Amino acid sequence: MGGLEQRFPVPYKSLSLDIKGNTTDFVICRYEDHFLVMATQIGTMGTILHARKEEGVTVQPTFNVSVIFGKRDEPMLLAITRQLIEHISSSGSSMPLVLSLGLKDHSMETLKGIVSAVMENRLW
Amino acid sequence: MSSSSCKTSEFEAAGFDSVGQDDIGGGGVQVTSFTELVDDVTLHFQIIRLPKQIYAWIGCNSAKLGNLYAAAHTRPSNTVSVTSILGGASDNTGSGIARRLVLKTGLNVIVACNIPKNSPMLEANAEKKLVEKLIALGHSRSKSPAAGPVLSSS
Repeated sequence: MGGLEQRFPVPYKSLSLDIKGNTTDFVICRYEDHFLVMATQIGTMGTILHARKEEGVTVQPTFNVSVIFGKRDEPMLLAITRQLIEHISSSGSSMPLVLSLGLKDHSMETLKGIVSAVMENRLW
Repeated sequence: MSSSSCKTSEFEAAGFDSVGQDDIGGGGVQVTSFTELVDDVTLHFQIIRLPKQIYAWIGCNSAKLGNLYAAAHTRPSNTVSVTSILGGASDNTGSGIARRLVLKTGLNVIVACNIPKNSPMLEANAEKKLVEKLIALGHSRSKSPAAGPVLSSS
């Protein structure tokens, strides 16, 4: 056996916070080609969204944000996704994001709580 | 065990061939990461156990996310359905694993897998290692009501 120490190739963070009275569990992972962020209050991943940066001809990047599994009628989920992918992009990474949101309420306060918790614990 | 409402555990795994790391993060989330060497192929595994769902990632020689599948029991019939939710249009590597994990654990399952297509042996080995670990962690459904591991509740 060689003496080579290998790190598990996917760094991650896991935490739990109270947001507006709901216990919210977060897991943030950095894969080689994606970020995965989970925020759940309901015990499952909930709705899964995908966001990626599209390199266009103009200087300004555009983003493609969509629901790939779950609630398609809750715009707040897309708003959270969009905020996060824009931040990822402005931090210098072009990697797409897979975001799962299992939320009990979809209020502005919860949105802000989720976004700020993810920002504080980001891996980009 | 601390019961503060804000507990952060930052974790960067470091380990040798098949050393596993478990991390009971906040609330009911348990993250397990481990690596196995099987037939000259390095397989990385990550299991995120949520109270009512399991997420599993299988990395074959790389840390790419791969194709994403969702699988669950579909009521009223007692079958398991699986759908591709990211990638995986032309190959189904990983979809069978997702289906069988639902059968083994009784929970909804999301599987991410970057095993190359047309590698049935590799897929089977990966599934075997994953299931072994799930049983060891206590996440598999017992076949008989009396004995055997039961679904872990924390």
